[in-house]
Amino acid sequence: MFLTRSEYDRGVNTFSPEGRLFQVEYAIEAIKLGSTAIAVRTDEGVVMAVEKRVTSPLLEPSSIEKVAEIDDHIGVAMSGLTADARTLIDHGRVETQQHRFTYNEPMPLESLTQSLCDLALRFGEDEEGEVGMSRPFGVALLVAGWDAEGGPVLFHTDPSGTYVQYEAKAIGSGSEGAQTALQESYRKDMTLKEAEVLALSTLKQVMEEKVTATNVDIARVAPKWHLYSPTEVEEVIARL
Amino acid sequence: MATALPVRAQVPAAGQATKQHASWSPYDDNGGTVVAVAGDDYCIVAASTRMSTGYSILTRNKSKILRLNPKCVVASAGMQADMETLHKMLHSRHVTYQFNHRRPMSCPATAQLLSNTLYYKRFFPYYTFNLCAGLDDEGRGAVYTYDAIGSYERVGYGCQGSGKELIQPVLDNQLKAASPLVLPQQQWLSSLPLEQAVDLVKGAFVSAGERDIYTGDDVEILIITKDGIRTDSLQLKRD
Amino acid sequence: MAQAGGFSFDLCKRNEFLEARGMKGPGFTKTGTTIAGVIFKDGVVLGADTRSTAGTTVADKNCEKIHYIAPNIYCCGAGTAADTENVTGMVASQLELHRYATGTQSRVITAMTLLKSHLFRYQGHVSAALVLGGVDFRGPHLFTVYPHGSTDSLPFCTMGSGSLNAMAVFEAGYKDDMSKEEAMELVARAIRSGVMNDLGSGSNVDLCIISKEGVEYKRNHEYLQGKTYERQFPQRFAAGSVPVVRERVYDIRKAVTVVEGEPMEMES
Repeated sequence: MFLTRSEYDRGVNTFSPEGRLFQVEYAIEAIKLGSTAIAVRTDEGVVMAVEKRVTSPLLEPSSIEKVAEIDDHIGVAMSGLTADARTLIDHGRVETQQHRFTYNEPMPLESLTQSLCDLALRFGEDEEGEVGMSRPFGVALLVAGWDAEGGPVLFHTDPSGTYVQYEAKAIGSGSEGAQTALQESYRKDMTLKEAEVLALSTLKQVMEEKVTATNVDIARVAPKWHLYSPTEVEEVIARL
Repeated sequence: MATALPVRAQVPAAGQATKQHASWSPYDDNGGTVVAVAGDDYCIVAASTRMSTGYSILTRNKSKILRLNPKCVVASAGMQADMETLHKMLHSRHVTYQFNHRRPMSCPATAQLLSNTLYYKRFFPYYTFNLCAGLDDEGRGAVYTYDAIGSYERVGYGCQGSGKELIQPVLDNQLKAASPLVLPQQQWLSSLPLEQAVDLVKGAFVSAGERDIYTGDDVEILIITKDGIRTDSLQLKRD
Repeated sequence: MAQAGGFSFDLCKRNEFLEARGMKGPGFTKTGTTIAGVIFKDGVVLGADTRSTAGTTVADKNCEKIHYIAPNIYCCGAGTAADTENVTGMVASQLELHRYATGTQSRVITAMTLLKSHLFRYQGHVSAALVLGGVDFRGPHLFTVYPHGSTDSLPFCTMGSGSLNAMAVFEAGYKDDMSKEEAMELVARAIRSGVMNDLGSGSNVDLCIISKEGVEYKRNHEYLQGKTYERQFPQRFAAGSVPVVRERVYDIRKAVTVVEGEPMEMES
C-alpha cells in the first residue's frame, strides 16, 4: 500500500491506478484534525457552534475566528486549516457583493456555495499569468444562510469541491460522534432556541474541555447573520 | 525689411487642421414609443411597431419588447441596432443567470442589471430609451424607467421614445402621479382596473399616432399577470 | 458712389452666424409634403397631401396646400408654410391687378415668371417649392418652381419630401392624353404613396382639376383613415364638475333703453 502511494500521492493532477487523488484525500484527512464545528438548520434559521482550542492561558480567545460572515444573510463555520478558509471567505465576500451590485438582491446560497467550490477545485489548474494553487485547500466549511425564496439553508463543502445540503452537520475532529448525536436528536420542527441547545450540547459531548463562553463561538443566520456575544453564549450554556 | 523668423515645422493650430469625417455619427434615431403601466396585480407594456429613419419608414412591424420571462420584460425605443445589441446582451445574461441560480431573474434584479449594463457604456452610451416592467416579488406591477446611461427609478407608469412628450402628461393626468415629495407618502401605483388601464394606453397611443410622425402602424401590447403574459394589439394610422 | 438697388442678405448671414454660435431660431412650420401634378387631355390635375409638420410633430392634420393663383391657375406649395402661402398670395394679387388693367385672362407662364423672379431675388432664402398648373388660351400648362428660382415645364411632376414616392407612381403609370378620371386616379395614387410611405406627408388627399370648362377643387378627395380605436372608457365630466365660486345676475333692462325707431326705406 505504502509503495503504491509513494508513486501517486504527490501530484494533484495524477490519479492512482485505483482511481484516487491522494492529495485530495489527505486534505480531507486534515479536517479530521481540526476543531469541531456544528451547524443545525431549523425553519427559524441556522445555528452554528464551533470549538475554539485555547491552547494557552496566554492566548487571546477572541483572536481565534472559526465562524465568519460572508454577507448579512450568509455565514460559514470552518474546520481544518483555517488559514485556507480566509481565501475562501474573501472570495465569497467578493462574490456576494458582486451579486448585490449587479442584481440588487442577496445572492442565493447555493450559488455562493457553488462559487466557493469552484475556487476549491482550482488546485489542478495552471493559472494564467499568476501562480496557481499548489495543493487543495485543507479546510471544510459549513455554509449557512437565508435564501430570499426558500428560507434557511445549510451546505457542507470539502476540499474536493463537493457540496451537499444538510439539516444538521458536524465537521472536524469530533465530527463522527457529533454527527451520530445530531442524527439521534435532530427534529425538523425544532425552534431556533432548541437548535442552539442541540448544537452546543453536541459540541460539549465531543469537546475535551468544559464548555465556556471563551472556548466556543456561536453564530446564527435568522434571517440575518449574528455572532453571539459572551453573555449570549453564557445564556445558551445555562440552558444546557 | 522684417527680421526673418526661423522656419518651423508647420503645425496647424487647434481647429485649423483639415477636417476629416467630421460629420460621421455613430447614432441614428429610429423612433418609436414605449409605454408601461403598473397596476396592483398587473402590468401593461405597449410599444409601437414602426421603425423609421429620417422621413422614411424602414418597417411597419418591428417589436421593441424583449420578453425575458413570464414576469419581466424590457421595452426600448431609440436606435434599433443598439436596442438589438442590448436585448441580446440581456437575454444571454438572463440565460446564464438561470444556469447559475436555477430560477428566472426577477423584475427588480433585471432592473438593476439593465442599469449596470447601460452605465457600463457611460462614455459611449447605447442610444436606447428603456423601460423594464413586470411583476415584483410580491406580485405587484412594477415599472422602472431609465435614461440612456442607467439612471433609473421605480415608478407607477412610464413612457419613453419619440411620443413621450405627448403621452407622459396624459398618463400623469389620468393616473394621478403623486409627487414623491408629498407627505405622507402617496401610493404610486395606479389603482385602475385592468380593462380601463388598457383602454387608457390604447387611447394614448392613438393620440400620439395622430401627432408624432414616428409613432404609427401598430401597437404591440403585453398584459402581464400572475397567470403569465397575454398579448393584445392595436392598429394605428399608417400615414 | 454707393450702388443703388440690389438686395442685402446681411440678415441672412447674421442669422446663419448666430445659429452656428448656438442661437435657436423660432422654428417654422414646414409642409413636409407630397405635391404633384399631371397634364391630361383637357387640362391639369394638381394634388397634395394635407399634413404640416413642426419638427417631428404634426402641426396641422388637414391643411390646404393647393393655393389659388387665378381663376384658371392653381399652385401647390411645399417648404416653409409661411413662404408658400405668401409667395402664392402675392402673385395672386399681382395677377388680379393685371387682369383689372388688361381685362384678359391670366397666363400660366406669367404666374410662373412672377414666382421665379421673386424666388431668385431671395437666393433660396424664401423656401417655396411649387407645382404650378393651369389652363389658358394656349392650353394646359404645368411647371415646377424650385426655391432658388429655377423652373421646369413637364407633363407630370412632383415636389416635397414625398416627391420620390409620388414620382415612382408617375413613372410607372403616366400616359399621354389621359382622361380626366384616369388623371385624377393617377395623381391621387401618387399622393397616397407619399402619404403612406413618407413621414413628412400624411392625412388626406386634396385634388384640383383645371380644364377649359372650369375648376373642380376637390378638398379631401380621399379621406384616408379615421380613428382606429374608440375609447371604451372615455373621460366624461359630470355637470357641476366645475364649482361655481360666485354668481352675479345683471338685469340689462335697467342699463339699456329701447327706443322705437322708424323703419328705413330700402327701395326707392
